[in-house]
Amino acid sequence: MREVQVHPERCVGCMQCMLACATAHSQTKKLYTAADESPLPKPRIHVGAGLHNEGFPNRCHHCDPAPCMLACLPGAIFRDPDTGTVLIDPDLCINCASCAMACPFGVLRYHQDWVAPPEKIIAQKCDNCISRQQIGLVPACVEVCKTGALTFEESDAALKRKTHEVACTIASGLEQQSLIPPGVELLNLAKKQRLEMQNRQNL
Amino acid sequence: MSSKYDQRTITKDGQLLLRKMENDQVETVWDRLEAQNPQCGYCEMGLSCRICAMGPCRIDPFGEGPQRGVCGADADIVVARNLGRMIAAGAAAHSDHGRDLVEVLAEVAAGRAPEYSITDEQKLMRVAGEYGIKTEEREVLEIAGELASAMQEEFGTRKGFLTMANRVPEKRRELWKKAGIAPRGIDRETSEMMHRTHMGVDNGWQSLLLHGFRNALSDGWGGSMIATEVSDILFGTPKPTPNMVNIGVLKEDEVNIVVHGHNPVVSEMVLQACESADMLKLARDKGAKGINLTGLCCTGNELLMRHGIPMAGNHLMTELVIGTGAVEMMIVDYQCIMPSLGAIAPCYHTKMISTSDKARFPGMEHREFHPDNAAELARQLVREAIENFDQRGESYIPVQATPSVGGFSVEAIIGALGGTPQPLIDAITAGKIRGAVGVVGCNNPKIKHDYGHVILTKRLIENDYLVVDTGCAAIANAKAGFKMAESIKYAGPGLQEVCGALGIPPVLHMGSCVDNVRILVLAAALANALQVDISDLPLAGAAPEWYSEKAVSIGTYFVASGVYTVLGPMPPITGSMNIVKLLTSGLNDVIGATFAVEADPEKAALLIQRHIEAKRKALGLSSREF
Repeated sequence: MREVQVHPERCVGCMQCMLACATAHSQTKKLYTAADESPLPKPRIHVGAGLHNEGFPNRCHHCDPAPCMLACLPGAIFRDPDTGTVLIDPDLCINCASCAMACPFGVLRYHQDWVAPPEKIIAQKCDNCISRQQIGLVPACVEVCKTGALTFEESDAALKRKTHEVACTIASGLEQQSLIPPGVELLNLAKKQRLEMQNRQNL
Repeated sequence: MSSKYDQRTITKDGQLLLRKMENDQVETVWDRLEAQNPQCGYCEMGLSCRICAMGPCRIDPFGEGPQRGVCGADADIVVARNLGRMIAAGAAAHSDHGRDLVEVLAEVAAGRAPEYSITDEQKLMRVAGEYGIKTEEREVLEIAGELASAMQEEFGTRKGFLTMANRVPEKRRELWKKAGIAPRGIDRETSEMMHRTHMGVDNGWQSLLLHGFRNALSDGWGGSMIATEVSDILFGTPKPTPNMVNIGVLKEDEVNIVVHGHNPVVSEMVLQACESADMLKLARDKGAKGINLTGLCCTGNELLMRHGIPMAGNHLMTELVIGTGAVEMMIVDYQCIMPSLGAIAPCYHTKMISTSDKARFPGMEHREFHPDNAAELARQLVREAIENFDQRGESYIPVQATPSVGGFSVEAIIGALGGTPQPLIDAITAGKIRGAVGVVGCNNPKIKHDYGHVILTKRLIENDYLVVDTGCAAIANAKAGFKMAESIKYAGPGLQEVCGALGIPPVLHMGSCVDNVRILVLAAALANALQVDISDLPLAGAAPEWYSEKAVSIGTYFVASGVYTVLGPMPPITGSMNIVKLLTSGLNDVIGATFAVEADPEKAALLIQRHIEAKRKALGLSSREF
């Protein structure tokens, strides 16, 4: 089964996945009109800043067993049998935040949403873009990610590819090669250096 | 682990005010940078393009996603176009500032700006001479009018070359011609850059970059140089003058007025108004002991250079100065004025005034300055600032000001040397002074505030490299105490001896950011005296904390003029290793100088020393090994 795979070393922090996610979960499905909706649609994927301010796309892992599902008091969280996706029923959710306490990845958010009764705040998180998948589209975050930080593929295929990449970097008889292109490495180096300088003793 | 405030700035006043502003729940530039992280990697690498509506496009630096924009531009073209437009914007900013001064000069000549006058007639005559304007037996104002008109012409393209570019050594002019980068007109090069970077025009990344050099040269030897020279003609050529720096220049018991921005046309009039007897009387009537005019950023530098007006701080201090609660009024013109300022002021009692027809800011009252109303408007504003004095609540001025000396125009430096650059050349030849380095540019919250400037300068002077500085770098070094006669204690033995004998500090404040051209003029004068090219001299430039497009233009005209230049923050070019390689090494074959990028000032100091020693060796002078 194809799933969204995250390759954090490829994330450049452009946050386009967040925009696309919010748009995909809006009523109108178009960025320009989505930004005018009430309640405002919100992303379910979040790009965090790492130690050197590198990007990190953080989304629901659809764990199995899922701690959020076990913690959910009203039984609003359930698993879609076809895709394995962990979903939240907006009518049953009571906004108690037990799921957030149980979630090891911090992917839950609480807000109004057009799928919930008006004014009601509910828990929201990634739904694997099930409705897009039903019409043959890949999840919105994957579609807009141009660096390959988010891919939609079998996990075995992704891991196999990674095995090859790693193997190439340490193949015998060759200079050790980096997985990261030189321009990206230069930029990362500059970011790390800035941080190191920040922590130096002042005069 | 140091405290958050220590991580953000090395300055005591900055640290204490950051703490206060956090208590006051006022957001600053550092908070906003944190909120922006992670910043977009495409943009950081120069790989996003918003130029046309087939886009926006981005190029995947990892090679799997799109490698061309919709138009077909690859990474090299996208990075080159973006860099070209940064240079164009920077050159436009400086040159438009220059144009404003020329317009005042023209108004003065026509008798329509009664409160402005020609202060340095000698300089007027000298510059008019360069423009081929007859100066004997003519009225000063007539000459001024003709010069203004000749300078206005330089903004177009009618002559096909810039007059003041004749100041560079013959060798360099030839090199420019050969490389096709001799600047033809000030506005022309900027306009051509916008044309070339339009979709479907110049798609040679090398030719785009070459035009970038020509565009920057039209700033350095054109727009900025006109700005500096006309400012000197109108307001006086700077002479060494003592002043005070840092937030401690604000006074508890006086009306504090702060000018911020770049153009002396406004700040000079505010200064006149602050010094007038009736305003002083009004201030005393209101219970203040006086009127304390202080500066921020480059308009502050303009006043500091010419009048010794105290300097409250550089770019990253502009928000914090309002946080003292001691500022009755801040008057801004243009460039580097954060639009956040108008939102901070209501937390205190500070009145915010914008003055330029081309620069408006939320939360500021717009009171437009023009040459014909400037004096009266300045008086009116000062009156309102005085009336605001009794609205002041608790104020917090937590440090004592540091003394410094500014005002080192080229004329003043040559003057201090006894009328000729020869003593400086002798000191360099003898190895007492190893070489000279221009430490210039902005602040950037990505680099610990003032750390880049101060550490680099400290390392250079302690190893006998003379430092000349401008802009926010100059303010950083003044705050660090490098600009008093006794600051020679920080210098190495050779530099100490020379500066001690001349009675000058080891770090010379040469002015605002348009005044970087003073460094060019000095470099050209040294090269001409030695009959070599600028690129043969033991010189270097550095912009350890740059942030603005203007700084990109400055760095580029330094390099195009033959000065090796080390940037602190990484410019958005790493998306194209071809461009990185060209700018950091390939350029040597084209224009005899390159850029380097090194955020760590300790390492940048080594790069610069290595470069200067290599230049010394090539000149047959003693050189040190690194």
